[in-house]
Amino acid sequence: MGVEIILKIATIGILIAVVAQVLKQAGKEEIATLTTLAGLVVVLTMVVDMISELFSTVGNLFYLY
Amino acid sequence: MDELFKIIGVALITTVAVLVIKPSKPEIAMLIGVAGSIIVFLFIVNLLEDVIGLFDYIMAKTNLDSDIMMLLVKIVGVGYITEFSSNICSDSGNTAVASKILLAGKLTIFVLAIPIITSLVELIVSIMP
Repeated sequence: MGVEIILKIATIGILIAVVAQVLKQAGKEEIATLTTLAGLVVVLTMVVDMISELFSTVGNLFYLY
Repeated sequence: MDELFKIIGVALITTVAVLVIKPSKPEIAMLIGVAGSIIVFLFIVNLLEDVIGLFDYIMAKTNLDSDIMMLLVKIVGVGYITEFSSNICSDSGNTAVASKILLAGKLTIFVLAIPIITSLVELIVSIMP
């Protein structure tokens, strides 16, 4: 749990941007949007996992549950 | 003390990553911001445990009825989570949602504080001649 998660999400973001750009040049417009969507879903699942961990930590720490 | 340096390092790297990704993919930049702030919080958790320990110590020493002290800790937790999520929303631009989250947080804190207020009123009434 540290910087590597941030860098992982950043690389995914850059990768999606590049792949979408290449696909757009190649004329495959709809596949570009699909790859962007797929990348977003991957990043979203990672961040949702972190958010759920945050909420459980805060719940335990502040007796909130 | 080295916690602080680690936190500053993670925060700076997150800001740089957000700025790098923002022009091409603003939604992923926002998610990087969220991930970064969660990681900084997970560093802070063990610092917070000492603070909560202080609350327990006060509870033990002053044998104040502990459910009020528990309410104080709960209110701090609600306040933190509300401020965390409203900052994330206002970061990504929609301040309307952020202010709604703040409103919800304030109301939750008020509902949590109702027992404290009632016990205060009872205390005052009992003191009155």
